[in-house]
Amino acid sequence: MVAERPRGETALASFTRRAEAAAARLFPDFDALHGWSVDDAPAFWRTFLDFADLATEGEIEPVLVGDGVERGRFFPALRLNYAENLLRGADDDAVVTGWDEAGAVTHVTRGALRDGVVSLARGLVGLGVRPGDRVCAVARNTPATIEAALACAAVGAVWSSVAPDMGAPAILDRFVQLAPKVLLTHSRFTYQGRTTDLGPLVESLQRAIPALERVILLDEGSAPALDVPVHTTAQVRCADGAPWRWDRFAFDHPLFVMFSSGTTGPPKCIVHGAGGTLLEHVKEHRLHGDLGPGDVLYFHTTTGWMMWNWQLSALASGARIVLLDGSVSHPAEDSLLRLVDASGVTVFGTSPVYLQYLDRSAIEPAKRFGFEHLRTIMSTGAVLHQDQFAWVRAQFADVPVHSISGGTDIIGCFVLGQPGAPVRDGYSQAVSLGYDVQVMTADGARRTGIGELICASPFPSRPVGLFGDADGARFHRAYFAENPGYWTHGDFLELTEDRQARILGRADGVLNIRGVRIGPAEIYAVLQGFDAVAASLAVGQEDARAIGGLRLVLLLEMAAGATLDRPLALRIKKALKERASMAHVPAVIAALPGLPTTHSGKLSERAATDALNGRTVRNRHALRNPETLDALVAHPDLTLG
Amino acid sequence: MSASPDPAPLDPALRTVIVEWLDDNYHFGDADSLITDNEMSFLHNGILDSLGFVQLILFIEERLTLRVDRGDLSPDNFDGMGKMVRYLVAHPDYRGV
Repeated sequence: MVAERPRGETALASFTRRAEAAAARLFPDFDALHGWSVDDAPAFWRTFLDFADLATEGEIEPVLVGDGVERGRFFPALRLNYAENLLRGADDDAVVTGWDEAGAVTHVTRGALRDGVVSLARGLVGLGVRPGDRVCAVARNTPATIEAALACAAVGAVWSSVAPDMGAPAILDRFVQLAPKVLLTHSRFTYQGRTTDLGPLVESLQRAIPALERVILLDEGSAPALDVPVHTTAQVRCADGAPWRWDRFAFDHPLFVMFSSGTTGPPKCIVHGAGGTLLEHVKEHRLHGDLGPGDVLYFHTTTGWMMWNWQLSALASGARIVLLDGSVSHPAEDSLLRLVDASGVTVFGTSPVYLQYLDRSAIEPAKRFGFEHLRTIMSTGAVLHQDQFAWVRAQFADVPVHSISGGTDIIGCFVLGQPGAPVRDGYSQAVSLGYDVQVMTADGARRTGIGELICASPFPSRPVGLFGDADGARFHRAYFAENPGYWTHGDFLELTEDRQARILGRADGVLNIRGVRIGPAEIYAVLQGFDAVAASLAVGQEDARAIGGLRLVLLLEMAAGATLDRPLALRIKKALKERASMAHVPAVIAALPGLPTTHSGKLSERAATDALNGRTVRNRHALRNPETLDALVAHPDLTLG
Repeated sequence: MSASPDPAPLDPALRTVIVEWLDDNYHFGDADSLITDNEMSFLHNGILDSLGFVQLILFIEERLTLRVDRGDLSPDNFDGMGKMVRYLVAHPDYRGV
């Protein structure tokens, strides 16, 4: 359970005193504490584990075995249960509040949630779900989904969820790889007032996943006709009167599988361990967000984004979490603001895209609501630009703005907040404790400067591995091959002399469109169905007028005899919307006589991106057809006015 | 400024500009068939969401070279094809498409 701390003192200050005692030295500032956290990683993580006061069993030592960031493993002799740690505390506290678009509000107490988790966990065991089994979910952001995820964690099953508005092919690309035993799903979802039946989607998933043994509905809707048994959670629950005993699993026991799509191949299935996820989230929540009992956290997310898992873990710090099932702007343009105000949210997590929406809609939050309890605003999902910090202060609330950034790959943050420290507009306040974040420059790894974000120290929330990657080769290629000895994340970063940080964008071909991470490979997969298209490249063009500052551009090389006309462009957009998502729909489609291709025959997103954005093309020498870049630059639809 | 309902036919060229934008950005060829009635609400019939409205207004301002007073940004003026076209045609800077 989370201990109350002296009024007015941040958890970071309390922890710093604990760290000084452990290190037998004084830390005059955050930089000194951070330096110790990476120079003596075992001491830092041992001290933090003790500070966090988690429910564990086994031995704390050894803290770290194996060498370096690629092979280091934390707490191999320690055992814990993620769900147990999220559900400790007084029964009567409201810990989850769910809102829907119609304004219906559901409060769930810790006692009710624990009882629900335990009865569902017993039921899952009765259905044959065992530790390590994958359970996939097509789920709305509701209290029922929270309960189901924790029930899976309780029995050691591995949870993986997507939002219900994702297209069936994109879901299949993810779930088929996991061969789940159970599919949990809502029967329908409502967005912007329109209700969509998920029955056809569930039918297609069931047909495509032979390993699937049963489907469990997370609501009371009608069940589709399937070849496997379909239950409701009410039918699965088992109210055994015997005392529940939490099974505690190895620190690295798989907890979540997250997905990350890149420029080639199917999405990576990133396996995150229970201990690393829990410890990292508790560290971020308490030390970097000062989250604790009495706090109310709202972080805008769907069940398909890592921030859903991140906000779930806030239960372990004693905070209440608030969920929104639906649109931020329905039925009213300021519906989300109303939720934040009415729910007494103390920490509001949002995105640059939403803040830009408010700004462009001439919505001034402070003139509409009091936000009496709000003390921190967090933003992630895209680069939070300097002027947006000032906008928040002037139009929203004069509270610290934490620009936080990390990702699915580490299910946490590399850069984030530092309670009590001043906020410099445009920057994250701090590098995460325990992470030796550096930048890879032309002169090598540096602790200040601009370059690709790398991490030199082992960290507990490094993925256990990739699912289906038995020899670890794909895992190595994804994160360690580019800069041996370092985790290479794929972001460009600026680190200042005083260790503040600013994310500058993606360094690889992955795009961030309106806050949604888009892997071009998913777009290419859809385009394979168009005979008129010989080749394609999906790239980002910086555009200050675009929501999020980046517009998605699709470059096509047409097949012999084919032309790109308006009906074809609309058919391509429609297919991308239906088979991937709205975020995958390009703002512009342009046909070119050829696409930049390397001598080894690989289409080059990097060259096209550089040319499109007026930058020097770094790999021009590696192209066999550099003249294609001239045609690209000259294309009228690709010129910003 | 607000535009009152007018039984006169909507400016067809302006209507086409809006339909094409809806097709390019949201409905990909289906916009005209979804707008079964010029007086139907865009918001309540899944034609456009609030974020889409912002994007559409920004597009219209650039396309028609006029500025929509932010105080006029209300469903009364924009939530529907008829309302939108009548508002824009009545705009003092409107010179046609």
